Amino acid sequence: MASTLRPYLTCIRNTLDAAMCLQNFPCQEVERHNKPEVELKSSPELLLNPVLICRNESEKCLIETSINSLRISLKVKQADELENILTKKFLRFLSMRAEAFQVLRRKPVQGYDISFLITNYHCEEMQKHKLIDFIVQFMEDIDKEISELKMSVNTRGRLVATEFLKQFI
Amino acid sequence: MARAGSFVEADNAEAIITRIEHKSRKIESLLKQYKPVEALKTALEGTYAMTGDERCKSAHWIAVHRALMAIKDVDGMLSSLDPEYYDILMKYLYRGLATGDRPTCDQCLRIHEKLTEKAGLGCILRFLTDTVNTV
Repeated sequence: MASTLRPYLTCIRNTLDAAMCLQNFPCQEVERHNKPEVELKSSPELLLNPVLICRNESEKCLIETSINSLRISLKVKQADELENILTKKFLRFLSMRAEAFQVLRRKPVQGYDISFLITNYHCEEMQKHKLIDFIVQFMEDIDKEISELKMSVNTRGRLVATEFLKQFI
Repeated sequence: MARAGSFVEADNAEAIITRIEHKSRKIESLLKQYKPVEALKTALEGTYAMTGDERCKSAHWIAVHRALMAIKDVDGMLSSLDPEYYDILMKYLYRGLATGDRPTCDQCLRIHEKLTEKAGLGCILRFLTDTVNTV
């Protein structure tokens, strides 16, 4: 499993490197408005081809770019029911605190677990390669976090069950 | 331009499908002779002249997929492939990555890494911006 992680992250890193070419672009329809075009999708000439990178049947990454914004949606591997619940709760926890992350989207795109929205303003304030490092690091850490959570839930469950059943010995 | 001449023929979807089938047979015979690199070259060339509807694109993708999965030595393949085919190969790699099928994705990820090293980020960007010639 780890053998495909490196190429998967490298592919995402290279694609993000190429796709993160954002510039300021005021809204064409409404004057004095400036909206992330990837969210609105109102003008096809402002959008690039969306890219779907799948590692296997359960893990994938959708990268959609436009002239002034870039949206990255991730689907994290969920092997069983417990991981499903843990992932949902953990990523919902992060999404609700999206203000602190700045580049996080409050609601994930339909069909994915978590989404990022990077605009030209983020690229002006922060360095492009650091943003990409953040996204890739996030993907690596998510897997570790979910495994740790699962292990701690199982350990606690085992301890509680042992203690509870001791009274019946 | 060589492509303009073949537009007349390419208008007919049936003719395109027949040509793709003809190419598939050639690819199969090359693969039997353990020549995966030549098979991939055959699969990739003439793609632009054959752009048609979804059926043609699917048929073409199946042929390229067959050749891609047979590649074992990625470095050797890339060094013997002409640079003009890098862009079209990148498009097919992304199509392979979108399928979600594990062996295809493994192979495509491996080739994608090496191809980006060789062709650079411009290759990826040309795929992202080309909304006209999609595969």
